[in-house]
Amino acid sequence: MKVKTVGEHTAGIWTWERKTERNWTGKSQIIGEDSLHRRAAISSGLSPHSAPAAALAMEFQSPSSDKLQPVKQYPPPASPSSSSSTSSSAANIRLWKPAAQRNLRNQWSKLASLRRDWVSSSSTARSHATSLVNSYLSQMYMSSMELGVLSDMPGIRKKASLKLFKQQELQRNNLLASYKDLVDIVTRMVYTSKSMRCYVKGMSNSPLSQFSISAEIQDDSGDGGGVSVFSFWPISQYELLAKELVEMFVSELNLKRLLLMELLSLGHENVSEISDLNWSDEFYPGEFDYLAICNLYSDKDSQPVLPSFGKCNAEIGSLQPQHKQDRDVLQVYLTTWIAEVNIERSRVDDILSLVGAEMCVTIT
Amino acid sequence: MEGIIKKYQQKFRKAKEEMGRWDELQSRLLSQFSSASAIIQRLQVLQNSKNYGALTCVQGIEDSVLAKQMESLQVILLGMNKTLEDFCGVCTTLEKMARDGAQLIKGGSSISSAKQQQQGVGIKPSVAVCLDGLRLLSEMHRSEYHLKVSVVAALGKVALNLCDIDDLGALPQLLVDQPNIPREEVQGIYDVIFAEEIC
Repeated sequence: MKVKTVGEHTAGIWTWERKTERNWTGKSQIIGEDSLHRRAAISSGLSPHSAPAAALAMEFQSPSSDKLQPVKQYPPPASPSSSSSTSSSAANIRLWKPAAQRNLRNQWSKLASLRRDWVSSSSTARSHATSLVNSYLSQMYMSSMELGVLSDMPGIRKKASLKLFKQQELQRNNLLASYKDLVDIVTRMVYTSKSMRCYVKGMSNSPLSQFSISAEIQDDSGDGGGVSVFSFWPISQYELLAKELVEMFVSELNLKRLLLMELLSLGHENVSEISDLNWSDEFYPGEFDYLAICNLYSDKDSQPVLPSFGKCNAEIGSLQPQHKQDRDVLQVYLTTWIAEVNIERSRVDDILSLVGAEMCVTIT
Repeated sequence: MEGIIKKYQQKFRKAKEEMGRWDELQSRLLSQFSSASAIIQRLQVLQNSKNYGALTCVQGIEDSVLAKQMESLQVILLGMNKTLEDFCGVCTTLEKMARDGAQLIKGGSSISSAKQQQQGVGIKPSVAVCLDGLRLLSEMHRSEYHLKVSVVAALGKVALNLCDIDDLGALPQLLVDQPNIPREEVQGIYDVIFAEEIC
């Protein structure tokens, strides 16, 4: 009697356990089905409302047949939209990824270091500009300057003016050299921002896979068919951010060219013979080639693009630089040089840290 | 007795370190102040569109430059407030030292009487001198801190266009001079406390 009850009891527990087990698997399946259906519905463009009904119907089917279905339905993580025949196969992408990752890391660290170069060159240029302005102003005020005992010396004002003029000559050259550096830096930035893609090099069926940043095979888009390179972003996302970053520097370069033209034209009529500098002049040999790379040279007008915020309201001929400038105007020029209105520093930092986080490196 | 004087001297050495930190903060504050006032002086020139020369052809340049300058001014002003906080930290440390110094003699019953506190052994300073020195140092720095706070507040008013930059008057010079911390007096305190090391 006693034994029987114990036996019944254990049997009862056993069945109960089996029941819960079945319940549990059933439930988990429902959840799994539901989410999968929703995903499938979204990807195929159906409305997700039909999904719960389908999941409910699924509940009463035999579990063994169900189990295989989700695997088949599971959508691939990214639909290959622009995939090419050479790089879409899984094996190729596996080989492509490390090369693309290395390339991206290199290009972005290059961008970051170019940005540092920009900061230092821009501030060097500013200090040259400041001393140029200062000696110009001293020269301008020379005639009205109180010289005290020195005023008895013969030709002192003239000598001083000449000296200041020579200084300006030197400072103009320095300023132009720093501008040249800036143009150089921005050109390299543009080039770097366009080298984010990684292309297959050589024959695709060769045993050794090689990659380069220039396209060799037709229809190789260089982005691995749009797959994510590190965690989430495809190549195009990196290109987008690089473009945003570089464009800030490009438009700032354009504005600085205008300031440069104004500053280089400074001079006192009595002493100096400054050749007229116009916007359409090439400030140094080869400048236009670089500007063309930066998209700052317009072939139509055969002169550099005018700086603008939105639109420029200047006539092309009206950009005639003045030889004489008020000190307040010069102060505004120098302030504009420092302010770098086109470069939003916090956004630049944001972009670099965002990209760094995505690539699991710190870019500084 | 001698042991306790040693402890006080230790405190003075620490105070000296804190004052070194104060000097660093002072130079930081001065450079912040001069760049802030440079920007403020520039603002008027920047607000006049006649001053833009060739830049007038670039639409919106005036607003952009002004906005950028205001932005940097704001950053500098925030930095100044941070510097002030650090100054306050130095004051607090110095005050704590003075308090701790007062606690030292309460713990040791042997030197609780006023007469004993006045006694100095040879060239060594007496307890009373040590206590006074610590208290003086902390008071000096605290009042200088208050002065700095009001100068920075005045600059903030100027930045908000509430008054002209010339209205600051001699305040910037006060910031440089630090009238509440006379150098000779501080040196005098240290000369007495570390008299034995001088000879």
